This record gives sequence, C-alpha cells and structure tokens, in this order.
Amino acid sequence: MISPIWDIAFFKKKKDKGNIFQILENVPIFSDLDERELIEVEKIVHRRQYKKGEPIFRMGDPGLGMYIIVTGTVDIVEELQDENQKHIATLGHGAFFGDLALLDESPRSASAIAAVDCDIIGFFRPDLMDLLYRKPQLGIKILVALARVIGERLRRTNEQLSQIIREAETRENG
Amino acid sequence: MDKNINLSITQINRTIWRIFLFLLSMAFLLIAFPYLKPIIFMLIISWILAIILNPIVDYGESVGINRALAIVIVMVLIVGGIAGIVALIVPAIMNAIDTLSGKMQSDFLKDLTAQLEAFFQKNFNNAALARDVIAKVNDLSANLLSNMGQFLQNASSFVAFIGIIPFVTFFLIKDLRFFKRLIIQQIPNKYFELALNILHKVGDQVTRYIQGQAIDALIVGILSVIGLGIINIVFGGPVPYFFFIGMMAGIANLIPYLGPLVGAIPAVVLTIMHGPQNLGTIVVWIAVVFALVQVIDNNIVSPMVVSKSVNMHPITVVIAVILGGNIAGVIGMLFAVPAWGIIKVVMKEVSWGLKSYKLR
Repeated sequence: MISPIWDIAFFKKKKDKGNIFQILENVPIFSDLDERELIEVEKIVHRRQYKKGEPIFRMGDPGLGMYIIVTGTVDIVEELQDENQKHIATLGHGAFFGDLALLDESPRSASAIAAVDCDIIGFFRPDLMDLLYRKPQLGIKILVALARVIGERLRRTNEQLSQIIREAETRENG
Repeated sequence: MDKNINLSITQINRTIWRIFLFLLSMAFLLIAFPYLKPIIFMLIISWILAIILNPIVDYGESVGINRALAIVIVMVLIVGGIAGIVALIVPAIMNAIDTLSGKMQSDFLKDLTAQLEAFFQKNFNNAALARDVIAKVNDLSANLLSNMGQFLQNASSFVAFIGIIPFVTFFLIKDLRFFKRLIIQQIPNKYFELALNILHKVGDQVTRYIQGQAIDALIVGILSVIGLGIINIVFGGPVPYFFFIGMMAGIANLIPYLGPLVGAIPAVVLTIMHGPQNLGTIVVWIAVVFALVQVIDNNIVSPMVVSKSVNMHPITVVIAVILGGNIAGVIGMLFAVPAWGIIKVVMKEVSWGLKSYKLR
C-alpha cells in the first residue's frame, strides 16, 4: 500500500493537470478539443502567478497572446493621459482576455492588472503559429473556435451600435 | 518617508548585489572558458543541426508521425549520409595531401624554379630573387601541409566528440520547447511578455537565417560540383576531387565576400598540381565556373533563401572573420559571420522590445 505522503506526491501532478484541463476545456477557443489535443495545448501554455496590483500587460504594449484566469480576479482598465485609470471590467475564475492578440501584434487596447493574487495561464501567438505548422488539424480547430468567438463579439457590437443609432435617430426625430 | 528611504537603500543594495553577481559570473566564464570551449562548441553545433533538422521533423509530425520517431528517422538518415560522405572524403583528402607532398618534392618544383630563375634573370638580372621566392613558397606549403596533418590528427580525436553531437541534437529537437519554457519561467512578470516576444522573434529570425545559409551552402556546393564536373567531362578530368572541392566551396560560401575566393583556390591549386596540358584555359574555366555560381547565388538563390535581416557591411564581415579566426581558428572564421548575424538580430529585437513595452 502506498503511504499517504507518496500518494499525494504521485497524484499531485495528475490532479494539477486535471485542473488545467478542466479550465482549458471551458475556454471557448479550446472547447472543441478532445483530451489528447488538450494535452498538446497544455504543453505550450505558460502558467504564471501575479501579486495583487501587478500588471499582466499594459495598454499600448504589443499584443502577444491571451490569458485565462485559474484563480483570482483581474481588472481591465483604460490608462488615461493624466495617469488615471478608467475601470472597464473585472474578470474572475475561468474568464479569458487578450484573445485578439492571437491574431496580430496590434497594441493592447487596455491594461490588465491583478486585482488580487492570481494564478493565470498564458497562450501566445507564436506558439499557436508553431502548432498550426506542426499539428495543422489541431491548430485549425483552435483558429475556427477563435473566429467564432470574435464573430460573436462583432455581432454583439453591431447590435449595440444599431441600437445606439436607433436611439439617436429617435431622439433627433422627436 | 523613512519607509521610502529604506526602500531605496534596499534597491541600491539589490543593484550592487546584482552587479557583483554579474561580474563574478563573467570572471567565472573567463576562467572556465578554455575548459568549457569544447562543450560550448558541441552545443553550438548541435543547436545549429537542431535548427536545420527541425523543419523536417515538424513536417513528419504534421503528417502524423510521432515526434520522437520522426527525429530518429531524420537522424538515422543524416548520420548515415554524413558517415557515407566522410568515408568518401577522408581518403580523398589523404590522397590529395599525399599528391601535394609528392608534387612538392618532384621535378615539378624544380622545373618551376628553373623557369622562374630564367624569367627573373632575363627581366631583372637577379636569379637569386626567384630562389628566395621559391624558398618562401616552399616553407609556406610545408607549414600548411604539416598544419593539415595536425588538423586531421585532431579530427580523429574529434570523432568521439562528433559521436555525442547526434545524441545532444536529438534531445535539443525533442525538448526545445520545454527548454524555452524553462528559461521563460525564470523571467520576472514585469519582463515576461517582453522576454517571450524577443525570444520568439530572435528564434524565428535566427532559425530562418541558419536554414537559409544551409540551403544556400548546399545549392552553391551542388552548382560548383556540376560546373567542375562539366570541366572534367570536357577537358578529360583535370580537376581532381571535384565533388569534395565543390562541396567545400559551398561551405566556404558561408563567409560573404571572402568565401567564393576561399572556395576557388583549392580547385585552382589542385588543378595546377595535377598539371594538365592546357592549364591556362582550364584555370580560366574554373574561374568562370566559380564566377557564374556567384552570379546565380547572388541574384537568384541568396535573395530567395537567405534572410535580409542580417545584411552587413564588408568591413564588418572582415573584422568578424578575423575575430572568429583568433578565437576558434578555421571553424571560428566559418561561424564568425553567422554568429555576428545572430548578435545583430538579438540587439535589434532587444532594442525594439525596450522601446515598445512600458516597463514601469
């Protein structure tokens, strides 16, 4: 029989990986992947710990990739010219941000700052490109899912814009 | 206020400590360099091989072959190929050296001395000058040959060293991403994205540069072999070891500006030593072949396969080659320009990163 101490040591890694898999499969861009494909993704993501108040990335920095929150919360803020910040959103466990940077190196449109101590997974464009070359089927699955997420966001933005235009026209007319 | 002062004192202490550690590591590296040199060389060669072979392994992986198996297949093919080429080339080199030594001792040199003496006597009324020149050339050739012998002796002890390279290359290809992640894990959060971006960009450019140079060297080598082969067919085999000479010309082409000359000299020297009847015409044709290969390389091959990001001034090339030669002899000369290219790419990308990222 394995001693409880070794039992923990043996299963710690598996449980830890299980945790990552559970988080990854709940992220829309990885939701189409099977377990074998998630193992491939797990090999190329970066896990980082951030202290409260530490920036994950700053507005204007070249975009490099997306982040997924494992534990903690992250503030998304716009940095104003007078060194003040405008709060945009607070994201929690399982949320992801910065996904547009998977497509190009355009500057970040906002800063992401750890609101509390955070455990975060980073998935970056160069690794996605490398994956596309090495495992094209897996890469395409991720890209299609990414396109779906961005398409959905564009549809919602269009709806909001249409609503704003309609409201403005109603106000003008009457 | 006190808290602020304490904080800045801590920061100063930390900076002093870091500078001390940096200087200590530098001193250690300088002291340990002679001992580490073979390991560093082995790692560099394995790394270059890993970069050259990685796309083939990636392709294997993309068509569904397990990565480790793809590496084994590629390595077996490459090691087998190299072993085959070495088995063909080493006896050829030994033969060439024997022939050269024989020619040096034979009537060929006496005839040349007599002709030169007559020429100097007729034009400058000084036959002794010809004897001096011949003596100098003779000393130089003897030195060159003894150095070549020494080189080959070292090369045989180098075989054990070569045996380790495929082993290291295998693990570099297999675990390159793991090593990269290991390095990146050590980077503080503040510099994480900057470091990751620079690492990828530098890796990408260096990979493209090295792969481009390897393809370029291979094409130049093949073109030279074809050119020299045609001369051999037309003139009845005046250029000995043309395959070896052509391939060496391809490798020498790694040194811009100087490479083509370095590549052409052995062909001309060996042909002169071989002593064909219409020597003048053949030497002209050899020059034409190497010039034509350069025209094709500079206008078609190189622009297509070699990255433009590491273009450098001829003076920089000469300085880099001299420095490389001083540090690591012939291999240093060969790798000086690619090494300088890599340093240039790193400096460019670090400078871009420091400008682009807000490191507050």
